[in-house]
Amino acid sequence: MSNTNSPSPPPLPSANGPGSPQDVPPLPGSFPVDPATLPEAMREELLAPDPVAIDTAAAELKDGLNRCPKCGATDIRHKPGSDLLVCLYCRNEWDGARVEEEFGFGVGLGELKGTVIASGARDIEADVASLMSFKCTGCGAEVTVNTDNAMTARCHWCRHVLGVNEQVANGAVPDAVLPFHIRKEDAVARIRQFVDKRKLFALKAFKEQFTPENVIGVYLPYMIVDGNVSVDVAGQGEIQTRSYTRGNDNNKKTYYDADVYRVERHVDFTIDDLPLESSTERGNLDTRANTNNIINTILPFDTKNAVKWNASYLSGFSSEKRNNDVEQLRPRLEDQLLSVGRARVESSIHRYDRGVRWEQERLTVHGTRWVSMYLPVWLYSYHQPGANGGMLHYIAVNGRTGETMGSVPVQQWKLLLAALTTGTVLEGIALMMIVAGS
Amino acid sequence: MSDDNGLWLLAIGPAGATVLYWALYKYYRNTDKSHAFERETTIEAQPVTGSDEKTGENNGTQATSIQGNNAGAYRMRVERVRDDAG
Repeated sequence: MSNTNSPSPPPLPSANGPGSPQDVPPLPGSFPVDPATLPEAMREELLAPDPVAIDTAAAELKDGLNRCPKCGATDIRHKPGSDLLVCLYCRNEWDGARVEEEFGFGVGLGELKGTVIASGARDIEADVASLMSFKCTGCGAEVTVNTDNAMTARCHWCRHVLGVNEQVANGAVPDAVLPFHIRKEDAVARIRQFVDKRKLFALKAFKEQFTPENVIGVYLPYMIVDGNVSVDVAGQGEIQTRSYTRGNDNNKKTYYDADVYRVERHVDFTIDDLPLESSTERGNLDTRANTNNIINTILPFDTKNAVKWNASYLSGFSSEKRNNDVEQLRPRLEDQLLSVGRARVESSIHRYDRGVRWEQERLTVHGTRWVSMYLPVWLYSYHQPGANGGMLHYIAVNGRTGETMGSVPVQQWKLLLAALTTGTVLEGIALMMIVAGS
Repeated sequence: MSDDNGLWLLAIGPAGATVLYWALYKYYRNTDKSHAFERETTIEAQPVTGSDEKTGENNGTQATSIQGNNAGAYRMRVERVRDDAG
């Protein structure tokens, strides 16, 4: 070994001995050598601050019983149509703190550097179960909450309500929640109105089974992202200089002359509160397999009004759990940021009246800030049987703005018949014109 | 109306049927809808900068617009130049 020109690299740490991931990890920020003894450049690097995580954990709330600040009862619910919590026992009402002001989420976008992750948006640890059990502090009984679809549960023995409030690393507890403002009756009316406009060609079974009262309120997991980015695009553009016709009367053709330009554009922008689905299932917008694009369409929400997490807001609603980490969502974020950049530069290329063909694009992300949030959606669903498990059609109402979108299954033969009839009539008119013209 | 005789009119029937079918299908199923984040998100942009350099001419073409015009197709990705190339 000693006579080879290039020295062999030091041996890698073994897969399961000391220095491997099997070892007990060192304390965060600890380093085996005192940084003060190292050269300045190394010391600076070691002592530079780590990416900031905004701590949104609520010290005053804990897992299990959370009592009304006035009377101490645990039967706390969200008051529909407001951001208030109400105690069902003494009717005391109180407000959750808006995260926008509490953690400064709305400010400093232009100075955003690196990746800032709020504590509720941290990476999900694989070994943390979604099923959580507590000892009820009211009576000592064991109470289980399945965080896949609920964040509160009632103790079967003493009837106290227990909630999950501590930010366990299973992705269930977000930084903030946006409570429902649209009431159920309103959501039902909106769904009915939406479907009433789409009855003629709707699937017969869908119309027969249509019961919008079955709509359910669901809190869906999202990452709300702020970003400070630059986009560069380059391509070719053409400006028409002349147009002229050639040929005789029966065979006239129009020709164009154009100048070709190389076009480059650069734009710096900040984006505020871009919502991204943080569950793999909801983020899959393949319209051949699902209708999740319906739920995607009712975005955005007034996320500025989101309040600090309190499980009591979810009492009586169902919820879905986040299963994507920041890094898994980054490709989708970058794709959307590039799209935004392309949309921003469009106003600067109007002089290219023959259009622009963009050929290259570059995204530079200076900084992003990630906050996980539960957003309120009223969901009505209808399962259409068919190949590959059929299709689940959603009609969704934004729980804050009331924006409604839906997928109504169609009766194919009716739609085809209508199209063919129209086609035949048009063809008949065309034939008459040809006969009259010849 | 001599040699082409208006025969293209025959295409009206199938074309009309197809257009109507897809228009109605999309109206019911809304498969073409998604979050319009380009305009529905709060964006604060600095003025756009850039350069325009004439590189040549495209004369005598019959096309009414540049080939592969994607100025309005924001979501259609083109070649991505990465900062950390290599």
